Amino acid sequence: MKRMKKVANLLASVVLLGVLAAGCSQETAKNSPAGSSEKEIKYPTKPIEITVPFAAGGGTDLNARAMSEYLSEKWGQPINVVNKPGAGGATGTLEVLKKGSKDGYSILTQSASAGSALFAGNPNLPFKLDDLRFIARLAVDPLAYVVKADAPWNNLKEFSEWVKQNPDKLTFASNGTTAIATFGVIQWMDSIGADFSKAKLVMTNGSGDALPKVAGGHIVLGVQGVSEVANLVKAGKLKILGIASSERSPYFPDVPTLEEQGITGVTVTQWYGVSAPKEVPDEIVKKWEKSIEEMLNDPKYQEKLKSIVVQPSYLNSEDFTKYVKDEVEQFKQIANEKGLIK
Amino acid sequence: MEALSMLLSGFSEAFTPLNLLAALIGAFIGTLVGMLPGLGPTSAIAILLPLTTVLGPTQGIIMLAGIYYGAMYGGSTTAILLNIPGEVSSVPTCLDGYPMAKQGRGGAALGIAAIASFIAGIIGVIGLVFFAPLLADQALKFGPPEYFSLMLLALTVVVSLAGNSLLKGLIMGLFGYLLAMVGMGPSGQVRFDFGINALSAGFDMISIIIGLFAVTEVLKGIEEKHAAISANNIGSVYPKWLDFKQSLPSIMRGSFIGFLLGLLPGCSTAVSTFLAYDVEKKVSKNRENFGKGAIQGVAAPESANNATSSAGFIPLFALGIPSSAPLAILLAGLMIYGLAPGPVLFEQNGSFVWTVIASMFIGNVMLLILNLPLVGFWAKLTQIPFGVISPIVLVLCFVGSYTVRNNVLDVFVTILFGILGYIFHKYRWPVVPLILCYILGPMLEQSFVQSLSMSGGSFSIFVERPLSLSILIGAAILLVVSLALVRRTKSSAKQAVGSDVDIAG
Repeated sequence: MKRMKKVANLLASVVLLGVLAAGCSQETAKNSPAGSSEKEIKYPTKPIEITVPFAAGGGTDLNARAMSEYLSEKWGQPINVVNKPGAGGATGTLEVLKKGSKDGYSILTQSASAGSALFAGNPNLPFKLDDLRFIARLAVDPLAYVVKADAPWNNLKEFSEWVKQNPDKLTFASNGTTAIATFGVIQWMDSIGADFSKAKLVMTNGSGDALPKVAGGHIVLGVQGVSEVANLVKAGKLKILGIASSERSPYFPDVPTLEEQGITGVTVTQWYGVSAPKEVPDEIVKKWEKSIEEMLNDPKYQEKLKSIVVQPSYLNSEDFTKYVKDEVEQFKQIANEKGLIK
Repeated sequence: MEALSMLLSGFSEAFTPLNLLAALIGAFIGTLVGMLPGLGPTSAIAILLPLTTVLGPTQGIIMLAGIYYGAMYGGSTTAILLNIPGEVSSVPTCLDGYPMAKQGRGGAALGIAAIASFIAGIIGVIGLVFFAPLLADQALKFGPPEYFSLMLLALTVVVSLAGNSLLKGLIMGLFGYLLAMVGMGPSGQVRFDFGINALSAGFDMISIIIGLFAVTEVLKGIEEKHAAISANNIGSVYPKWLDFKQSLPSIMRGSFIGFLLGLLPGCSTAVSTFLAYDVEKKVSKNRENFGKGAIQGVAAPESANNATSSAGFIPLFALGIPSSAPLAILLAGLMIYGLAPGPVLFEQNGSFVWTVIASMFIGNVMLLILNLPLVGFWAKLTQIPFGVISPIVLVLCFVGSYTVRNNVLDVFVTILFGILGYIFHKYRWPVVPLILCYILGPMLEQSFVQSLSMSGGSFSIFVERPLSLSILIGAAILLVVSLALVRRTKSSAKQAVGSDVDIAG
């Protein structure tokens, strides 16, 4: 039904555009607050392509799909989600930068993994952080520290004590030496004064690979987004020891945050956001910012986010850019200190 | 029994016209995309995922699930009739299915493939109904060392798929592994990209398969003036009682192997079909017939294929762990509906789960009904003159290889491997070990690296763990048996024919 509506909308807008230009400007006028001094641009006037640098079904993909569904209805233009996985997100990013249009019709969705961690961990990327214009942050998915359900520790405090005594017995799953789980483990171990160099990183291929191995007790610790651990926790196979977030997760209100357990300095979190090649016009960035802010305040969209277990967390282009840059610097510093980049 | 009464109420739900229609559409689309090279269930489900915003959760998931197991049926059709596997997991089906088709027994091959798929699908769903939570727990017992041992066991299959020369087979296997190493390695470093950015993401398996099989087949056709297998001589699609009797044990063995491996996250259908084929070849009394049109060689991998895909729903529904790419997208579908998998799903949305499971029974029956009479129709494909069908196949190949990752490089890879495949065929280098190692290599390496990270570099981890040790011993036995069998088969074939022959090429 919706699809038909979409087609109808499309036809209607084409007719409006062609025959009655006034009708169109009326429609865009609805989206902008009255008295806005900037000239309202006509965007989008054709389909937008959103690239997801990961495979379909992951967190970045789910966020991109939820957003494009919402915005395409709002804007009356189709938004196509295209998955270009590979090289930890570098493949999709490169595609958008090299082959994407610079006029705001090629958009990239990112996460902390394909954003900060990618840039901090790979000094030799074929593109730079400045090649991207970060438009807005959509949502965050704080990191949950999980162990198998029948492990002897009940919170991160008890676990930290054990780790301080036995750092060499700690194995943890992470996507790579400079993936966000690694940074999460380093910040936590530094905070409790345990020796990170003794812990063993077991390289896994995403949460689908890592979490069953943690649940089976083959790997001691998993550090993954709340949305990723939720299913196995609810299934009674994993136990969350703590969540790295300033506030308790609405999805697991009984689990204390790291700070509540006396562990400070863990800043890393999984986030999802939107960016485009740096040449994208300012007015289009503005339009995205505004639409995304409205979207994130819409209860209907918040319901949607609940179903994919992430929390809306808006940052505008300026704040988002600063956030990413700071995070990249921070990750780089950690990576240098611990000798993660060879 | 509670499960049974829940299932019955699920059936009453599944029989509503809308749900039936969803299952039918799903099964049909699945069959279709399974037949097209490259356009597998992964891309089909991904393309149709937005439909979930239109359909209700039950219909949506029924349809997506239908596409998934439907594709497992469809993959066999082109593999048997045209020697073009629509899916990686259909590669073993080609080995005996295509020779059968050439002998005018294509109908029987297609029929037995459909029946094997049906029986295995039903067995898988029964396992899902009664043992889901229990079995999902067992799957968690498999850690990296166990996966490593399991992959080693699967690698012994190379020996029996190497064809007339073990050496050639091993070289091709190593070549396959080398190809798989291009791109991001398990430690996150890019390897063998030769400074070319496009290569840093590695080769895509589907484009290599399409090249080696579909494009090669077209090239071979040009040379041979392709003798089309016409529908008139594919024979009856209803296999003779004798065929069925011969195949039934293979179907059961294939289903069993497929089901067990399907429980393990990350163990793809390709692994279980290869293993099932190999086991069949080993237990068979007429090993020489394998590769020349043994019906068991079709029945076993086809049943393993479907049992694996049905069993994959167990970790998915019970724990929310997707064991393959299409299931990962199906999981996304569940998440979009706000249906988080796990025991909670069975408790809170019991009617949904049981309706979907009941629809899988119905879907499997539909597929059987859809496939047996339609076999004649599909077979007409092969009657189309070569000059007409080969350009279409080529176009499908290119479209298929492009859509997997939306990457043009993959199209060039397809062309390159098409030409390579032709050369391999010409000089009798077996391509199946290449594919097998391409699939297994990265899995083997990853679990190896993971295991050593766990143990801090000590190799004893593989033999200290009882489960891993038993699998390793199993692999050693299998290797010895394989080597002995290959030697014997070769000498008896030599006696029979008087010269070296292809055992599986």
